[in-house]
Amino acid sequence: MSLYANPTKSSPPSPYLPSACRIEEALRPTAKEKFFRLAPHDPHILNYSPGQFFMVGLPGYGEAPISITSGPDEGCIELCIRAVGNVTNAIHRLEKGDTLWVRGPFGRGFDVEGMAGKDLVFVAGGIGIAPMRSLVKAVIKRGGFGRLTLLYGAKGPEEILYGDEFEGWRAKGVDVRITIDRPSPGWKGYVGVVTTLIPPLDIDEGRTLAVVLGPPVLYKFVIWGLRHKGIKDDDMLLSLERRMKCGLGKCGHCQINCVYVCQEGPVFRLSELKGLPEAI
Amino acid sequence: MEENAQYLYITDRGFKALVKGLLKERRVYGTVRKDGFPAFKEISGAEEIELVQTPTHLSAKEFLFPQREVLLKFDIKDNTHEAVVEAGDQAIIGLHPCDIRAIGLMDRVFSCGAQDVNYLARRGRTILIGSDCMPDRYCFCKSLGDTDVDSGFDIFLHRLKTGFIARTGTEVGADLIRKFAGPRMPSPRELTELEGLRTRREGSFTATLEAPPEALPGIYAMSDESPVWERIGSICYGCGSCNNVCPTCYCFDVRDEVRANLNDGERVRTWDGCTLDDFARVSGGHDFRKTRAARLKHRFNRKFRYLSGRFDSLFCVGCGRCSRACLVRINIAEVTNELIRESYKK
Ligand SMILES: Cc1cc2nc3c(=O)[nH]c(=O)nc-3n(C[C@H](O)[C@H](O)[C@H](O)COP(=O)(O)OP(=O)(O)OC[C@H]3O[C@@H](n4cnc5c(N)ncnc54)[C@H](O)[C@@H]3O)c2cc1C
Ligand code: SF4
Ligand code: SF4
Ligand code: FES
Repeated sequence: MSLYANPTKSSPPSPYLPSACRIEEALRPTAKEKFFRLAPHDPHILNYSPGQFFMVGLPGYGEAPISITSGPDEGCIELCIRAVGNVTNAIHRLEKGDTLWVRGPFGRGFDVEGMAGKDLVFVAGGIGIAPMRSLVKAVIKRGGFGRLTLLYGAKGPEEILYGDEFEGWRAKGVDVRITIDRPSPGWKGYVGVVTTLIPPLDIDEGRTLAVVLGPPVLYKFVIWGLRHKGIKDDDMLLSLERRMKCGLGKCGHCQINCVYVCQEGPVFRLSELKGLPEAI
Repeated sequence: MEENAQYLYITDRGFKALVKGLLKERRVYGTVRKDGFPAFKEISGAEEIELVQTPTHLSAKEFLFPQREVLLKFDIKDNTHEAVVEAGDQAIIGLHPCDIRAIGLMDRVFSCGAQDVNYLARRGRTILIGSDCMPDRYCFCKSLGDTDVDSGFDIFLHRLKTGFIARTGTEVGADLIRKFAGPRMPSPRELTELEGLRTRREGSFTATLEAPPEALPGIYAMSDESPVWERIGSICYGCGSCNNVCPTCYCFDVRDEVRANLNDGERVRTWDGCTLDDFARVSGGHDFRKTRAARLKHRFNRKFRYLSGRFDSLFCVGCGRCSRACLVRINIAEVTNELIRESYKK
């Protein structure tokens, strides 16, 4: 333990000080989401893995935890942000050339190397496709996996994110299946919540890892569906959403029983959540 | 008493001279009686201090982890941030053993992993001076292990009929005593008086836990489904007083405050409480601990179970403050005893 008698000379920099990123590109893929490509001033923060997140902030508004949506080693940080409240609405007003402030990357992401050789089933609901994209890109880039399947559920066709990238993923061998919650004129694909895509899957449960990313309500049903297909809790990975105020394991907001999601998570094996009744 | 070397005698005048010496170089907070109640307060003269033996209602955590603290200053137009570390030399006088242990736990929290420079800088410039206490009916530190501390302070004072026995815990503390208080070796009679005080104190505890401290994490782990949570949850106001007064509750909120000129402002952290309504609510309205029962269970488990693996210690020091402050008399020792009894039946 170190105490700093003289803060200017001996103490490390404040972990609360964000670093600046220039917005290189700002797109509005849907009515609720905005996509940003950031060029950070400090190149060190580009060292991230899929599943990790940044505390993203604007002076005067505050910070919100946001997952990384770009693949690793792409030389930039991409974020996809849904406007839901104070901070996220303020961020939505930013355009190319503006500055966004970030701290991070934080948390434990996916161990892509450790997943190599397996069949992967990605299940994403809503904004969960944002962190999933980072993982899918990393997996495609590395190669050396078995069958890759992406199940993605959105409310309606107008809410689908990254629709223009799926053909490219299919070309790289990912079986992309998209479903929307309710029928919509002109939509020819699947209809129903994302869990309905699970039973028809042909799964080799011994060599399959499932990755589930979505809003908290999604997890119970998806997990139930995957267990029915014989996938063990040890082979299910998911990312938990909690309120977060620091990203540093201090503020206590993200705590689930003994676990601090910002430190030990946000990515967990389902088996690790056994004994954490508040987790799901 | 084997380690006589650690023990020094100082007179009442020596104590006053010590406080005076501290006041010359730093802010000094000491225990006083405020409207009849023991409290910590900034003092400007040694005569203001009363080394109150019963616990203060509020802990001393605000001097190390203020209720509101600036982390950053920003300028919206210039688009700049500047880290702020507000730390000055200070001393806290009148800390009881539980307070000192609580500060040791806070030190672990803020130095584990990312270094919280705001806390650690302030802590590094703080001199801790303990003084002995007498338990009231809420104190149960004895059941959590030690009633006394032998480290974690700079100086610890034991009040005798006249003068004090001072123990020094750091070089800084020893230097201060030498420099200001004119110490001498205690006489055998003074050491006997101290021994008598200690024995009297040891025998004065009324609140006790019915299981040893090592058993508590396991007992709490068995109690997730206990009916106790619903019962206390149904009377709890969710007021957060227990969090406020607790010397080891460190959860905080962070928010931005903008000046009237709508340009410059500060990112501040303020105390938060896990018993408050929206503590675990996320966007979209999903609340991971909707009921007061769930939130109390969380708070109690944090003290006796959740943090024990992470920081290698229980996080309750047995000061009884939360029980003393609770409007509906939820008593942490009694609740724990109920859980202990239930677990014996299982
Ligand atoms: C690890 C992680 C990764 C994430 N990744 C992404 C991502 O990639 N993209 C994305 O868009 N989102 C992501 N989120 C969610 C995102 O962090 C939240 O949407 C964001 O914090 C909302 O912040 P805000 O200030 O805009 O909203 P707030 O103003 O905080 O409020 C948003 C909503 O939350 C509720 N709420 C919040 N505070 C209170 C309160 N005090 N009292 C009552 N209700 C309250 C309300 O329902 C409110 O409408 C992620 C979250 C986590 C934990
Ligand atoms: S939980 Fe209650 S008794 Fe324990 S340290 Fe906190 S205030 Fe004191
Ligand atoms: S002080 Fe008592 S009433 Fe208030 S939140 Fe704590 S337990 Fe509930
Ligand atoms: S976000 Fe503050 S402890 Fe995890």
